[in-house]
Amino acid sequence: MSKRNIQLEVLRYRPEQDREPVFQTYTVPCEEEWVVLDALNYVKDEIDRTLSYRWSCHMFVCGSCGFKINGEPKLGCKAFLRDYGDKIRVEPLDNFPIERDLVVVIDDFVDKLQSVKPYIIPKEEKSVAAGEYIQTPAQLKTFKQYSMCINCLLCYSACPQYGLTNQEFIGPAALALAHRYNMDSRDVGRSAREHVLASHEGVWECSFVGACSIVCPKDVDPAGAIQQAKFTSAIDYLTSMVGIGGK
Amino acid sequence: MSARKPYVRKMSKTSWFLTHARFKSYMLHEVSSVFVALYMWLLIDGLFRLAKGPEAWEAWLSFIKHPLVVILSLIAFAFFIIHTTSWFKAVPQAMRIQTGEHFVDGKLIVGGHYVALGIFSLFVLILAGVA
Repeated sequence: MSKRNIQLEVLRYRPEQDREPVFQTYTVPCEEEWVVLDALNYVKDEIDRTLSYRWSCHMFVCGSCGFKINGEPKLGCKAFLRDYGDKIRVEPLDNFPIERDLVVVIDDFVDKLQSVKPYIIPKEEKSVAAGEYIQTPAQLKTFKQYSMCINCLLCYSACPQYGLTNQEFIGPAALALAHRYNMDSRDVGRSAREHVLASHEGVWECSFVGACSIVCPKDVDPAGAIQQAKFTSAIDYLTSMVGIGGK
Repeated sequence: MSARKPYVRKMSKTSWFLTHARFKSYMLHEVSSVFVALYMWLLIDGLFRLAKGPEAWEAWLSFIKHPLVVILSLIAFAFFIIHTTSWFKAVPQAMRIQTGEHFVDGKLIVGGHYVALGIFSLFVLILAGVA
């Protein structure tokens, strides 16, 4: 197996000693089939055990290893070294405070996620013994794409609105998930999500830059979900004006 | 005492779009709408002149034939193309058409928009006596 040396420039921030983040370069002997996360793991294991970053599954399922790699939000486990030159720059995700090195503070997102009630709100609660909430394959297809989100936050890092509003904007992933539940035939919670989804900080803050959908590693297309939710929100507003109830 | 000291990076309100080619292209699309609005204003002005009478209408016609106005119109047309193509490209994201367990191919939806644009343009050109 061929090896090549890669200069890994990592943005470091150690709150106990750094006033601001600084780049540190590591020379990493890499295998050709490695991903950026492998290179970070090599640094952690062999060169500098003080380096901090999040990761877990190594197969783009857990959504933990989101970094800005050469200026683009990526999952470290999905960024193959063969697609990069000999110098790779790894930074923490944009638009979030840096806790330490590549670890960002995501509390704001977790709050926002909870605010959109990302779970099925059924018309009538059924007991487990009463069986499943039945759905056809076509009804599943309507929202399935939006249910593939792994909360990796690459979309929030790519979204200028989230940064420009100082995290006021509810943001792509949470809004896409709200839309996912609104589109679910088993759910009747649209009005319960409306005060968040249809608010100024909700879908109407989105100016359709579309970056979220481009960087999404699971092809969720949050930008599309938000535009569709704008349409639904406008219809809900109009129907409420003439006194017809929404979902 | 907590040792936490999260570092907050501020985003420039005035130059953020210069940080990525994707944002520059987005801003180009946004700016193109200004040209669309200005040209609409010119056309609406033409309507008012038409309502005013033949002399006002003729004056407006000679105004839009002025070389400087023609050049500005061509620039506006270039921005129209940017505006139209970028909007059409985004349509399948906002408008999904589901038939059973499948969605209509986005290329068909975009293609339909171009066909509609072609038909409308041809109609207008025929009305204007050009085609």
